[in-house]
Amino acid sequence: MNLLEYQAKELFQQMGIPILPSQRIDHPKDLKGLKIPYPVVLKSQVYTGGRGKAGGIRFAENTIDAIAAAQTIFHLSIKGHYPTVLLAEAKYEPDQELYLAVVLDRSQRRPLLLGSRAGGIEVQAAVRHIQQVVVDEEFSPFYARRLAIKMGLQGDLIELVSGIIEKMYRLFAEKDLDLVEINPLAVSLSGDVMALDGKVTANISALARHPDLAALREQLPRPGIGASTALPSEMRLVELNGNIGILCNGAGLAMSTLDLVNQAGGKPANFLNLGGESDYRLPPNLLQERVQQGLDWMIQNADLNVILINLVGSVVPCDQIAAVIGVYLNQRRAGQRPPLVMRLVGQNFETAKQSLAALDVPVFDQLDAAIARAVALSKG
Amino acid sequence: MSFTSDHKVLVQGITGALGVLYAPLMKAYGTQVVAGVAPGHGGQRVADIPVFDLVEQALGAVGKVDTTVIFVEPYRVLDAALEAIAAEIRQIVLITEGVPPLDMVRLARKADRVETLIVGPDSPGIIVPGQVLLGTHPPEFYTPGSVGLLSRSGTLTYEVALQLTQAGLGQSIAVGIGGDRIVGSSFQQWLQILEEDDQTDVIVLVGEIGGDSEETAARYIAEAIDKPVIAYIAGRTAPKNQPMGHAGAIIASLVAGWGTEVGTADSKIAAFKEAGIPVADRPSQISDLVKKALSSM
Repeated sequence: MNLLEYQAKELFQQMGIPILPSQRIDHPKDLKGLKIPYPVVLKSQVYTGGRGKAGGIRFAENTIDAIAAAQTIFHLSIKGHYPTVLLAEAKYEPDQELYLAVVLDRSQRRPLLLGSRAGGIEVQAAVRHIQQVVVDEEFSPFYARRLAIKMGLQGDLIELVSGIIEKMYRLFAEKDLDLVEINPLAVSLSGDVMALDGKVTANISALARHPDLAALREQLPRPGIGASTALPSEMRLVELNGNIGILCNGAGLAMSTLDLVNQAGGKPANFLNLGGESDYRLPPNLLQERVQQGLDWMIQNADLNVILINLVGSVVPCDQIAAVIGVYLNQRRAGQRPPLVMRLVGQNFETAKQSLAALDVPVFDQLDAAIARAVALSKG
Repeated sequence: MSFTSDHKVLVQGITGALGVLYAPLMKAYGTQVVAGVAPGHGGQRVADIPVFDLVEQALGAVGKVDTTVIFVEPYRVLDAALEAIAAEIRQIVLITEGVPPLDMVRLARKADRVETLIVGPDSPGIIVPGQVLLGTHPPEFYTPGSVGLLSRSGTLTYEVALQLTQAGLGQSIAVGIGGDRIVGSSFQQWLQILEEDDQTDVIVLVGEIGGDSEETAARYIAEAIDKPVIAYIAGRTAPKNQPMGHAGAIIASLVAGWGTEVGTADSKIAAFKEAGIPVADRPSQISDLVKKALSSM
């Protein structure tokens, strides 16, 4: 879960990482009560990069300029995203800009410290110059100094910058983050450092043990999920642009099914992962209830030509799934719902097949055959 | 390989929603589940398996175990695994989904120091058909044979196993290494184990988008694995930057400028092709490619 810049900077401040005086702006008129002296910088708060190039960062010398700039930024799309909040910040002239980050390295299964002397927007052009230090054992500040030296820092800057890296690491570890990035960290000739921009990504799995971060989530719009949804948030829904609804149990199976539908020339409207067999929040022995919830959502929220259900597992026998489908079909007449195609494997398949056949629902134990039928039905 | 029918198994979290569901299925398959652990439930029995409050109490009563299968809730997984390591259990299977990655970092640091094999989390565990079930695999989909199956998925692993079984291709073992970003053991570790396993003639590797574990595995296979390997990648047509349900299956570069192509299906397929490894377009093609590999041996 990405945080906005101003949210990231609040965390930086809590950790003692220096940031500029700043103020959150919810509406252009808020600038009349600005407590920061001019000149100021106004920055669009969006979950995407490239806002500087797009015109989402503007300078203002006085209130009139600032209000005009804020109005422009509120109406400016950054790669399709509009800000709901701006950040007003004191203007600052850095002498040097560094890049710093703490991230998890998947293959080494360890945190990784990243740093470069080419910070700011130059970092993208200078990826090869980013230095790395693996935090192999329990963190200690020498890992941060090791990075500072690798970055080519000398003298007082070694302790100064490694002090910031240490605080970033502490934040990363304390809050279970996926990423802490400062870009740029400004360094002045007088030896001050300042985090001018920052990015923090919280880990979704750990969110329930960090109520402060979970509260930030409430403030964010949830992309891709409409307001009318009644789905448990643990179910993963991905919305696309076609006309076939796909329900599966398990992420790998859902992705594979999506691929097969696409390869067969079908157009998926969405795919919904009802949860595999290892999730406490989506108990595998209650799969039939989740099928019901998933179907209800599909009917209410998507314009579909067909719904494909592919369930593979060991816990709920096929006939219990068929019973849920029977209830669902009884609640809706044929004209009020798209046709279903079922793919089931496991215990009591034959019983399930017979009861679904009586309901006119095609059911297959072969995946390819189910895909072919669903794609054919989607084309009318 | 050390996973056989005389293997002794502990189940931690045996009274929880997952443990109470799967421990009886493991036992019904013939796995020697000699004890369970659930704090506060000592003295009870689940499917006639004795339950203890502590791992050390369980081992005191039943003797040494070879493997523990952990079904506890996500935020208790690290603690349960550390308790098992402290009791000198050296093979740990983590089933539960949703373990915070930094908990796994702490566990990996510890496990590396004491040379403990960790499988998972977010994993169906291990099945050796006809011998032992250490997790959630549906045994009826599997049959003994010579195909070693490695996967990042749960239900997709079952799908592939079922199609192999239907094509007359039994399995020597199936291992779900886990769907999370940080997992205890890598494809390479398991490729090495299967390379040395006499029961395995051919290896099927089921990967998915996200991370670089398939690319790393492809390079490792080219260097170190003589047995034939067949690969399949799920998520070729999945949209970018969207969580798919496996925490690890996301095509995204967290760090600015680190290329947007990290973790794509194209990058993984290209790596396998470069290593001379056939890549199946669909699950039903895997058995054809396995037969081809077996016939040319």
